[in-house]
Amino acid sequence: MKKRKYPKDEIITFKSANEMPPLAVSLGSMRWNKTGSWRYIRPIYENKTPPCDEACPAGEDVEGVQYLCEQGKFEDAWKLILEEHPFPGVQGRVCYHPCEEACNRGHYDEAISIHAVERFVGDYGLNHGLIPPRLSQERGHKKSEKIAIIGAGPAGLVCAYHLARMGYTPLVLEAHPVPGGILRVGIPSYRLPKDILEAEIEHIIKMGVDIQTDSRVDRDLLLKDLKDFNAIYVATGAHESRNLNVPGEDASGVMSGLQFLIDLNLGKKIAIGKKVAVIGGGNTAMDTARSVLRLGSEVVVVYRRSRAEMPAIPAEVEEAEHEGIPIHFLATPIRVITDQERVVQMECVKMELGEPDESGRRRPVPVEGSNFIMDVETVFTAIGESPQLSFLTEDIQTEWGSIVVSDHGETSKKGIFAGGDAVDQPRTVAHAIGSGKVAAIAIDTFLRGKDTAKIAASVQIGQKGSVSMERYLRGEIRYNASKVVRFEDINLAYFEHKDRVDLPRADIEKAKQSFVEVNSGLPESAVTTESGRCFNCGVCNMCENCWVFCPDISISRKTDAFGYDIDYDHCKGCGICVEECPREAMSLEEEQK
Amino acid sequence: MKKVITGNYAVSYGAMVSRSQVIAAYPITPQTQIVELLSEFCADGLLDAKFIKVESEHSAMASCIGASATGARAFTATSAHGLALMHELLHWAALGRLPIVLANVNRAMGPGWSIWTDQNDSLSQRDTGWLQFYCESNQEILDTIIQGFKISEQILLPTMLVLDAFFLSHTSEPVDIPDIEVVDTYLPKYNATYRLSTENPYAFGGLTGPDHYFEIRYKMQETMDQAIEIARQADEEFERIFGRSHGLIERYYSDDAELILVVSGSIASTTRDVVDQLRSEGRNVGMLKVRMFRPFPRQEFRNAVRRAKKVAVIDRNICVGFGGIFYQEITSTMYGHRDDLPIFGFIAGLGGRDVTPNVIHEIVTHAETHDTPDTEIIWIGVKR
Amino acid sequence: MIEIRIHGRGGQGAVVASQVLAAALFQEGKCVQSFPTFGVERRGAPVAAFTRMDDREIRLRCEIYEPDHLMVLDPTLIEAIDVTTGLKENGWIVINSDKHFGEFHLPSKFRIATVDANAIAVKHNLGTRTAPIVNTAILGAFSRITELVSIEAIVAAVKEEVPLNPEENAAACREAYEKVRGQNITP
Repeated sequence: MKKRKYPKDEIITFKSANEMPPLAVSLGSMRWNKTGSWRYIRPIYENKTPPCDEACPAGEDVEGVQYLCEQGKFEDAWKLILEEHPFPGVQGRVCYHPCEEACNRGHYDEAISIHAVERFVGDYGLNHGLIPPRLSQERGHKKSEKIAIIGAGPAGLVCAYHLARMGYTPLVLEAHPVPGGILRVGIPSYRLPKDILEAEIEHIIKMGVDIQTDSRVDRDLLLKDLKDFNAIYVATGAHESRNLNVPGEDASGVMSGLQFLIDLNLGKKIAIGKKVAVIGGGNTAMDTARSVLRLGSEVVVVYRRSRAEMPAIPAEVEEAEHEGIPIHFLATPIRVITDQERVVQMECVKMELGEPDESGRRRPVPVEGSNFIMDVETVFTAIGESPQLSFLTEDIQTEWGSIVVSDHGETSKKGIFAGGDAVDQPRTVAHAIGSGKVAAIAIDTFLRGKDTAKIAASVQIGQKGSVSMERYLRGEIRYNASKVVRFEDINLAYFEHKDRVDLPRADIEKAKQSFVEVNSGLPESAVTTESGRCFNCGVCNMCENCWVFCPDISISRKTDAFGYDIDYDHCKGCGICVEECPREAMSLEEEQK
Repeated sequence: MKKVITGNYAVSYGAMVSRSQVIAAYPITPQTQIVELLSEFCADGLLDAKFIKVESEHSAMASCIGASATGARAFTATSAHGLALMHELLHWAALGRLPIVLANVNRAMGPGWSIWTDQNDSLSQRDTGWLQFYCESNQEILDTIIQGFKISEQILLPTMLVLDAFFLSHTSEPVDIPDIEVVDTYLPKYNATYRLSTENPYAFGGLTGPDHYFEIRYKMQETMDQAIEIARQADEEFERIFGRSHGLIERYYSDDAELILVVSGSIASTTRDVVDQLRSEGRNVGMLKVRMFRPFPRQEFRNAVRRAKKVAVIDRNICVGFGGIFYQEITSTMYGHRDDLPIFGFIAGLGGRDVTPNVIHEIVTHAETHDTPDTEIIWIGVKR
Repeated sequence: MIEIRIHGRGGQGAVVASQVLAAALFQEGKCVQSFPTFGVERRGAPVAAFTRMDDREIRLRCEIYEPDHLMVLDPTLIEAIDVTTGLKENGWIVINSDKHFGEFHLPSKFRIATVDANAIAVKHNLGTRTAPIVNTAILGAFSRITELVSIEAIVAAVKEEVPLNPEENAAACREAYEKVRGQNITP
């Protein structure tokens, strides 16, 4: 019997038995039958926002990093982070990692060790001498506008980094003799080794950013030297320690915890007593106490509320306690007792928690008659820091001791921008990095005469204020629909339970005797395993499920790019691809008739 | 009560008013609605029957055999490949002399897969020893179930009634559903002579050597011969009670017809309209509807064509390698009786192709214009 | 004999409509027959259902090729398929649509009527906004337009044949009866 060819997209109608094969056999296809027109709902193939991405104040593509690390593409992962900020090595050590809090996997077994993975990636970049990704000539061409950045902390440096990428040559003015701000002078080296920070700052300098140290900006300088700058970014941080406001505070043995850390980090000699009390429950308090311990003194932390209200990163508190530092909860000093100007004792009162205050935390109330005395020789205060803003002119509005800024970092004065700890935002490195990015975008759009608000809105990640610099600089590359993927959206049938890999814990006895970094990083194999646990919420990784399961063969791999095409002429809207997509990269939409 | 219902529902109602006691069935297009409605009847308490869900048609018939052997009134329904899967047990039921009633929705056998009507599925079971009735209307379907139990329980052979897919199964029309109490007067409780019982145990279906098997077959045929008369009586009694009858071979303007069309199933219905029209045009055409196919009422058929000049058989089936199956039956029936009578064998409507009045006109014209058939098989409507 | 074809999509209830219409006509003493498209029905795919009516017994057991009137449950079918195939001259086409009957560009040998059965169904909580059940409402409109069957018979048949929400379906029928608009049919 002779075989004939028939058009694939047409109904085959035989005029006579002679034309027909002797049996029922497919000679063409059913493509002529456009079953898509019967659809009530349609699948949409579109990446969604992973919750980790939304939670990251620094705007990292957290999921993207996991995706690349799982495949061992650490160089690409490093460059992906560098699209957003230049500090993976730093952040891999000091970030409070809210991403892990948001991680959907946490509802299944345990969150991904995102923080540990980031540290590995950061170290990988430094160990392999990687160079930050460059922009196209078009996007990064040289620009002539003059930009000054006051403060070489994380906010200022990140802003400078991105402006430099865009072709500007920002001038960074730093009061301290070294750049890095709180990262350099606030955080002890057992948490953040100096060489890591310096190496990452070196990347920024190499991009043409001019950092002038020992350059404290006062009002005079601001008005004269910076007068012809096109834009100024104020990122001076918060370095003024709050006072205890108790008798005896003026004694020489009562000192600012932050100042102690600064002196220590700048290599100055500080004399402290054998018995030390640190007042406060934040990271400065923890850093101070653990540094004191390493200097060989006995130290106790006194905090007026309970553990639940501590502002310090829980991991830091845990490590402090692990190192044997006692924390005296629900107590506050009311008097420092001196003997010949030397601190000898501190009188405290016990507290109990009352009604919540404006911060939402329960207000501590003294318990009458519960006073007690502690023997101490040095008292470090670490009950909060505030910005020092006296150099600002009056036309820059401040409120509650912080600079008032818009969502885009604009101050009340045109051309002046501010961010980091100098504005009212959570005092974390991640937030400082995020504000540096926001300001870089605002400064660029301002100088280029574009609509800042509109552009900023288009580069938002989720609803928590993070922005994607990659999307700003490279267009649609990191486009995710604004929907944040929930745990319920994940098809758990495709994921096996697997233990989380944590950072190996250091030998405490050794650790607490020196300022050498406490935690070591993860080995490469652990990183690929750990990243492999990622659900990749909302982001297609071409697992092929939709392609395999589609009963109408209506999903095909793109021939020239990553991803899939949906043939809406034949998709019947059965929803199986959506059901079987493990990660909500497919979703359903009502058909508009 | 008259209700507008489909042929499938007529089957379900028929099984209900016959007080079926065990129903074991497996759904298959286009029979599914029969099973659905019967299961609802059972669930709603409208029918006091054991509804057995089974995993195949083979099991459905096996269940009916077991049930019938206990003396219960057993019913099932199927179609096409489902009936084919039952084949082994169709023999079992007949040789076991079990008065089961089965409704088969005529559907073409695949592949090429077809859910549309033709008669090859039921005609392939011609030799299993079942009575076969081909129905023309939904009313006839319902009535034939009642009559089927009536006949089967007298002669201890099972009955298969056949309805066309879609043209009957899915077509709604008014059907008189008789009161169950009236049906009771026609169809008394089945009282099995031999039954599975712990009080008086028997073994059924044992080894039967050459000494006796032959006689079992002989008795079956003897019974089949009697079945024609019993079926006729059952139809007459039915008419006395319900006011309607369907006949075994129904004559429609055939007594004086020169050309007699021999038809079965829903084609008979359309043919009546054609015959009326031809008669009004003065053309001397009549129709015989073969309702009872097994046993084949040979003498009744011969009587009906005594004065005919030509007979045209319309087969919605084909015995591949021979021709139309009704055509075979009729040529065989007429052998030696009217050797002068030309019998035309037309094949039409296979796989659900519509048999419209025009198709029947074409057949009539062909028979009228040919003295004798040119070929054993005359294809109507085939795309050559 | 009058033959009626109902166009819909799988799941819209064209078959039930054909049965309800047959039941209503039967109550009025007509001989009736109704059936769906013979074959497989898939949700959303174009389907049709048919009703025959006559004063004498209906013996035709073949499909309907030249209907006298049409009902169209989904107006998008008019773009998708040729609903008028075989329709006899002067035949009514009753369409579920919120458009005026004049907006449909169909051959002038046919008569067009429209009724917004979607809105009526939604109002009476029949189906959902995206998938309203319009098969009962369209029968009310058909009754008014063709005068082949009384609205009382339709309503009675709906109550008899439609197992879910019989009252709402009956109310939808009556409303469509009032609201249908077509050539020579004014409020």
